[in-house]
Amino acid sequence: MIQFQYTRATEARMALDAISKDQSSMFIAGGTNLVDLMKRGIVTPERIVDISRLPLNKISYEGKVLKIGSLALNSTVAENKLVQHKHPLLAQALNAGASAQIRNMATVGGNILQRTRCHYFYDTSLPCNKREPGTGCGALEGFNRMHAIFGFSDKCIAVHPSDMSVALLALDATVLVEGSKGQRRIPFGDFHRLPGDKPEIDTNLLPGELILGVEVPDNGFAKNSHYLKVRDRASYAFALVSVAAALQIEKKVIKDARIALGGVAHKPWRLAEAERSLIGKPVSEASFQQAALLAMQGAKGFKHNEFKLKLAPNSIVQALKVASRMV
Amino acid sequence: MNRFFDKVIGDPMNRVDGKLKVTGAARYSAEYQLPNISYGVIVSSTIAKGRIRSVDAKAALRSPGVIAVISHENAIRVPGWADNEHPTEPPTGGRPLRAFHNNRVYSNGQPIAIVVADTYERARHAAMLVKIEYDTDKHETNFEANKGKAVVPAVVKKNPKSGLADYERGQAEGYKTAAVKLELEYVHPTEVHNPMELQAITAHWEADDKLIVYDKVQGTKPTQQAFANEWKIPVQNVKVISEFVGGAFGNGLHNWPHETAAIIAAKMVKRPVKLMLTREQMFFMVGYRPYTWQKIGIGADKDGKLTGIYHEAIGQTSSYEEFTESTLQQTRMMYTSPNIGTKYRLLPLDVSTPIWMRGPGEATGAFALESAMDEIAFALNIDPVQFRLMNHTDTDPDKNLPWSTKYLKECIQVGAEKIGWSKRSLKPAGVRSGEWLVGYGMGVGTFGAHRGAAAVRAKLLANGTVVFQSAVTDIGPGTGTAMVQIASEHLGVSPDKITFQLGNSDFPQAPNQGGSATVATVGSAVVATCKAMKEKLLGMAPAADKRFAGLKVEDVTFDKGYLSLSRSPSVKVAFTDLLKKQNLSELDVLQDSKPNQEANKYSKYSFSVHFAEVHVHPATGQVRVKKVVTCADAGTIVNKKTAANQMIGGVTGGIGMALQEEAVMDHRFGRYVTKDFGDYHVPVHADVPPIEVYFVNKPDYIVDPMGTKGLGEIAIIGVAPAITNAIFNATGKRIRELPVTPDKLI
Amino acid sequence: MDKSNLKNQQSGEPRNESRRGFLKQSAVLTGVALTPAVALKAAENQWDEKLAEALEKIPLKLEVNGVSKSLMVEPRVTLLDLLREQLHLTGTKKGCDYGQCGACTVHVNGNRVLSCLTLAVMQDGQKITTIEGLAEGEKLHPMQDAFLKHDGFQCGYCTPGQIMSAIACIREGHADSAEEIREYMSGNICRCGAYPNIVDAIVEVKNGGKKV
Repeated sequence: MIQFQYTRATEARMALDAISKDQSSMFIAGGTNLVDLMKRGIVTPERIVDISRLPLNKISYEGKVLKIGSLALNSTVAENKLVQHKHPLLAQALNAGASAQIRNMATVGGNILQRTRCHYFYDTSLPCNKREPGTGCGALEGFNRMHAIFGFSDKCIAVHPSDMSVALLALDATVLVEGSKGQRRIPFGDFHRLPGDKPEIDTNLLPGELILGVEVPDNGFAKNSHYLKVRDRASYAFALVSVAAALQIEKKVIKDARIALGGVAHKPWRLAEAERSLIGKPVSEASFQQAALLAMQGAKGFKHNEFKLKLAPNSIVQALKVASRMV
Repeated sequence: MNRFFDKVIGDPMNRVDGKLKVTGAARYSAEYQLPNISYGVIVSSTIAKGRIRSVDAKAALRSPGVIAVISHENAIRVPGWADNEHPTEPPTGGRPLRAFHNNRVYSNGQPIAIVVADTYERARHAAMLVKIEYDTDKHETNFEANKGKAVVPAVVKKNPKSGLADYERGQAEGYKTAAVKLELEYVHPTEVHNPMELQAITAHWEADDKLIVYDKVQGTKPTQQAFANEWKIPVQNVKVISEFVGGAFGNGLHNWPHETAAIIAAKMVKRPVKLMLTREQMFFMVGYRPYTWQKIGIGADKDGKLTGIYHEAIGQTSSYEEFTESTLQQTRMMYTSPNIGTKYRLLPLDVSTPIWMRGPGEATGAFALESAMDEIAFALNIDPVQFRLMNHTDTDPDKNLPWSTKYLKECIQVGAEKIGWSKRSLKPAGVRSGEWLVGYGMGVGTFGAHRGAAAVRAKLLANGTVVFQSAVTDIGPGTGTAMVQIASEHLGVSPDKITFQLGNSDFPQAPNQGGSATVATVGSAVVATCKAMKEKLLGMAPAADKRFAGLKVEDVTFDKGYLSLSRSPSVKVAFTDLLKKQNLSELDVLQDSKPNQEANKYSKYSFSVHFAEVHVHPATGQVRVKKVVTCADAGTIVNKKTAANQMIGGVTGGIGMALQEEAVMDHRFGRYVTKDFGDYHVPVHADVPPIEVYFVNKPDYIVDPMGTKGLGEIAIIGVAPAITNAIFNATGKRIRELPVTPDKLI
Repeated sequence: MDKSNLKNQQSGEPRNESRRGFLKQSAVLTGVALTPAVALKAAENQWDEKLAEALEKIPLKLEVNGVSKSLMVEPRVTLLDLLREQLHLTGTKKGCDYGQCGACTVHVNGNRVLSCLTLAVMQDGQKITTIEGLAEGEKLHPMQDAFLKHDGFQCGYCTPGQIMSAIACIREGHADSAEEIREYMSGNICRCGAYPNIVDAIVEVKNGGKKV
């Protein structure tokens, strides 16, 4: 890890000022991703601005919107009664991620911003366009079992590793950010980028912007939602495929639906067409199968991740079955 | 005679070193505070084969706190290496990699340089600044692509009678004419030991010819000898301390280049050097269970009698050092069959050298053998438990000798009952629990009951306590605890008055801790030392009480620190009084022990059987091991608590082997891509169900005077096939390539 | 012996541009404990490297196991390395250094965190409890007793992390069943595989009702 300057910010403005002065500086909050990346020489900020003590950790409910400060800890959010009551899907997704210790450190903002866990991104001796633009994508012709089946480019086939973000996407969340030009709101689906020609840029956050929090509007999904995470061991592993499924059911008919996938793309992957197909349909395996079929349009596998073309639709159906209490 | 079932041996006593471990006071190799210590960080190769053109250390040397950057360009010569630089006959099977010896790169991740700095952070940073240029050669690391190039091991060429030579009983390929026959291929991927403690060494030259190392090894004496040879210094000038070893599972059975790198560095910077590998480096530098391809031809008659097994294996090794293991041994002796053949080959690749990993080759071989047994039982429509019992053998068909003891049938019967085998459907996918498919499977394990030579010192002190010493290490099984129990039993002193010191090469000779042989080997020496101590005490007794004159040890009872006449227990004298009488501050006894020749008339093995209940989700392919029952015939159980712990640990390792573990290499670079605990999965709490352990607990006095047979290896051997067989029973899917991850089941 | 890559430790080693640049940079920063004037002067006058090194450190106050510590540390030092290498509290273990094994688990203000992913400077003013801080003299913490009794370890290396995590698991209210314990303890890997014994130990402490 390189030697760096350390500054502790006591108010958001100070943090923004510190960052804007210096392009090589980075915010640190929980540190669970950044410290790891710095140890391995993957990122080398010359200056670290510690934002962990900014007063951005509140969870509140105002105007039918649940507001979660960006520095709220993953464990705090998962245990929050308001969250559990209004958006159990979010609590489930949070608890499916990492370990109890990491959830005690990691913040909401950091979780959204975490970098891919692609093997090639993590090894500085191997090619990776995301880490070092122009070196090539190691995974494209390499070991790509964990990689994308949607939205990839020939520059990058990495996936976003967050569970929480998959739930936030399904729940129509908004990200509130602040930069030198003031505050703005970014719909969750627009927050993360697809890799395209610039895989080194993960999100649409502008340089110098700070995430203040996320906002989740009320919905009718609390009774029928489920976060399913399929992974290589029973806990403490990244998803092969994960599904955030939420249904609004009235008299066994689906009134509204949300489905998002994790572990399949460079960003959490929303399945709008599959969602639409469910509206007005009866709660049945056949409805779910049809949605899953639609969901997979345009998916393409690579040498080692072809299985996701089957695991993903299977998991969508399974998550919808659990959400609708069929099983 | 049956002294081994009374209160001390067998007692589930708490570990004697447990308090140190639960309070954080136990010291591991990187935890000794030496004055003026410096920190080493290894720079590893990023190519798999070639030559180092240059090592540019300028930037690293300019970095604050850096003391040295050492590579082949500037490393001092290790004197012991000069002698055999150009031997007339190269050593059979090659030799270990030599750190910084020349400019050759043999594998990716090989140590190329060590950066030494005054703090760890500075050393780690500077290591990233070292620039290495290579001339790259084409490498071969892909096992499957090179399988045709497998060779007969050099040890077999030199000694055709080696246990690794091709084997034939009846007709090697006799299975081919069987009424029912199968030919099956199995692949076992590379697995890495990954003990929780990262490999670490603190090296310190106390004088020019006097070395002390705090090193993570499984044997202090073999390590002492190795370093004395390397540095051409008297063996007593090398001191190896390994008081606590944070797991090893075999990777401490070899001395690795990072150890010599630290020793070279300490000599050059004239300061103690502490070096702890990173988790990635653990994949490249300190051995692994080799990728192994196996093929089994198996045949039986329609009634379920095996008529032949032909078992072939090809294991991976490095280009510079031959690693072999007994992958096929159990196929020769496990079941009765008129025709048995085995064929073992090695495939040298541009990778680092493997090393025995728990249950070593036997665990790999058992995956194939016990899977094939399950497959043919299914083909025959016979219950696999029944099939094992039908082909059970009461003598060793390989050596043609009687077993010293064998209670495998009893294990199988108990295990089948405890897992609820009767609930199993012979037809796959026949049992469900909600959405989940339920399956039951079993696998048998066996491992040689070995005993080596060792010596133990005992010192009886004036306060009545006794200190035992042995150079042996304890990588986790609870060696010290078992030895205290054996000593207590055999000397007649209560356990709380006994200390067993270990992990120090200054103590009496002991071999590596490995091969499930520690209790048999060192325990026997404890027994011998206790006997010698008792003889000395009895010799001193008449001076205190004439009634002890002329007696033999057998005539006297030694209990709770007293000698008494067995026929007249009221005649007694305290050990401490004997010392006082002679004005001795202590009584010192050193005794060695080795196996007796009589034991060679028997075939000696431990046996185990594992039963697993698994649930498989048909849509997602997730596997949950719901229950495991494991039964062991391991002779006398010295401590039921620590022994049971070893068994559940072995089962946990087997769950990893069956479902999770695989070090994946990208062959374009010859470099592992799954190389930390995030990508290389080992079982976590949520993967491990309740595990029931049963011991036969019948002594085998042919192996050793305690009647133990060893259980570290049999705890894992046969577990993986028990699980994969259960998966087949649950789903009808037979996965012959480990690990069985969800993608393989959908 | 070829000393070309060995520094002459007496000479103090030639300084380099980046170091001076670094110090200059330090001087214009806010929020750290450098006195800019001192830093600038040090850089320009090429003072002894030792002083320069000292300037890279910043002050840190911690309470570790009830004892207040005033330290000077480089910002890149993790809490784990600080505990092990500077405070010599080696009970906290390094098993992976990447937040993937749990061996380094400590409590910060009573909550379990991974010390390997924590920069020590970020914990300024916090209360740290390590495995060495659990027992009261000879009297072990109930969880330590339970680990002993149930043999919740073999090699002992993951044990401090398991125990710290186990205590937190009960405090957090996630020890209501063996299954819940297994899930909430999954961040602590035990390669020896003593998991069922660890779960037994936690169940016993939980059911014992003693304050943890």
